[in-house]
Amino acid sequence: MDSLIAANISQRPMRTAISITGVALGVILVTLFVGLSRGMMRDAAERQANVDAEIRFLPSGNVSLAGNPLMLPSRYAGALLRGVRPTAEDPDIEPKPAIEGLAEVSPVGEYVQGSVAGIGFEMVDGLDYPSFTSTTHLTITRGRGLKDGLTPETEYEAIVDHYYADSGKDIDGQPVHVGSRITVLGHTFTVVGVYEPSVLARVKIPLHTMQQLLGGVENCTYLLVKCERPELADKVLQDLRHYYPGNNVILTADIPALYSQTLAPVEIFLKVVIGLGLIISVLVILLAMYTTIIERTREIGILKSLGASRGFIVMTIEKEAAMISALGVVLGFGVALIGKLAIEANTRLMIDLEPRWLLIAALVGLFGGVLGAIYPALRAANLDPVEAISYD
Amino acid sequence: MNPVLETIDLQMIYHVGKVDVPALRGATLQVEPGEYVAIMGPSGCGKSTFLHIVGGMLKPTSGRVMIEGEDLTAMTDAQRTDLRRRKIGFVFQRFNLFPTLTAEGNLKLAERIYSGKDNRDSARRREVLKVLGLEDKMDHKPLELSGGEQQRVAIARAVINRPAIILADEPTGNLDTENSDVVLTMMQQLNKEFRQTIIMITHNAEAAARADRIIEMRDGHVVRSTVSSEAIQGRL
Repeated sequence: MDSLIAANISQRPMRTAISITGVALGVILVTLFVGLSRGMMRDAAERQANVDAEIRFLPSGNVSLAGNPLMLPSRYAGALLRGVRPTAEDPDIEPKPAIEGLAEVSPVGEYVQGSVAGIGFEMVDGLDYPSFTSTTHLTITRGRGLKDGLTPETEYEAIVDHYYADSGKDIDGQPVHVGSRITVLGHTFTVVGVYEPSVLARVKIPLHTMQQLLGGVENCTYLLVKCERPELADKVLQDLRHYYPGNNVILTADIPALYSQTLAPVEIFLKVVIGLGLIISVLVILLAMYTTIIERTREIGILKSLGASRGFIVMTIEKEAAMISALGVVLGFGVALIGKLAIEANTRLMIDLEPRWLLIAALVGLFGGVLGAIYPALRAANLDPVEAISYD
Repeated sequence: MNPVLETIDLQMIYHVGKVDVPALRGATLQVEPGEYVAIMGPSGCGKSTFLHIVGGMLKPTSGRVMIEGEDLTAMTDAQRTDLRRRKIGFVFQRFNLFPTLTAEGNLKLAERIYSGKDNRDSARRREVLKVLGLEDKMDHKPLELSGGEQQRVAIARAVINRPAIILADEPTGNLDTENSDVVLTMMQQLNKEFRQTIIMITHNAEAAARADRIIEMRDGHVVRSTVSSEAIQGRL
């Protein structure tokens, strides 16, 4: 082998393998964590997009799209559709008119539970099934839809989307199908139907059941508001804000922007992950190259006796580090790809390997390696040639 | 004819803690182009220090070193490195080949350092290795070669870029008599056939006798310069 760099790399295969693995670790960390967070966010956003309702009505407070507890009384749905009038039980209530232009209002309960697969979380929707199907384009492809959950026979029924059915396992470890038993909110539910497309949470149970399991109050998380015609959305929005001040009324079209806000802390987390990946690469290469330099002091002395400049020596060591890092990046991508396939096959987590983030992961590995080699390279370049060539 | 090497009142003092240890105390020497000079002297007389200064690996405390008219002592570290690259070839007692590279790989590396690029034409390497009797060992790594062969590869590496001077530090110190003889014969051949200037440090009188001139050093001084008996015989 005539290439000094390649020869040096192959001279100590174990150390080279450890260095490559170290760099790969950083690359895997960045690739999988970023891919996981991007994949889950994309998946959630896509499922939001399949909602037909133009408006979402949420209770007062900070708007969060990730599993608010049931804080909004479900009776708001009827109030929006039919208006509010004083009654014998509640004579002091402020009368409100029915909101014009509404086609349907559906209360939805939303709850975040630990993933049955043991990794991550998953959402569960509590539905008033008839109104929900009017505000989304959910279609049952196998089995049937949900009932109201008011009777013991229908209380613990669930419907799941195609992805859940295709990738999930039931309590007995068998593929999910109509009739399978699955665990939701710590209870056993029977799957009565499979639907498409994916809308909001993958698992849906009757809202009444969710309310009972979460404390018995007849609340929901938000209302899906469907207008008679899409062009009425702005007017309905204004009316809702006028008659129901203090609540959060947002257009479904604005939800992607809200997701971006939700992503802000995730972005910080991702930057921390990238930083960690970089630090791992720097430290691994620093240690490996520093050891290499001490071991090869005599060879550096030979290079100097041959008239190699400091730049030549620095570049030789940097190229070696870059080659190790490049191999680490390739290994990291390979392991990350296998990890993605394994995770997606065994859980309902989604991992997106986007080119932009793959590039960032590659740069983290390469830059970390090159950065880590700077100190050993400069140290080698500054060795005294006579001392170096006499080194034993 | 201008000397290829000229040292003038060369002094070198090592500072060991608070103690100053003089290694050269005014060594003055001239070497003509194509000359083969052997430097002899007892251990600690300053031979190696002299060689390292002439090779630009050390900067003297005072005095001057001129190589083909260039003042080495007025140069920066980087300039001395550059001059070493262009004009000096080293041969060491311990061969100092890269163990991971083949014989040809070692030569290619020297070419790359010299020219800054890979030389894909192996003709020159082949020619040099042939002169040194190693044409069939091009693909061998140092550990696959005998000591004598390794030293010949080291000589080939030293001459591959046609340096003005070859500095050899005890080139036969690690070799048996037979291999020593081969190496010394090769060096003589390079000197005679290609007018290669060689300055060789040696403790071995027989090796020194192969040179044109023998310089004797003692206590950091050049004390004597004599034409070797072989050279005299050669002239007769």
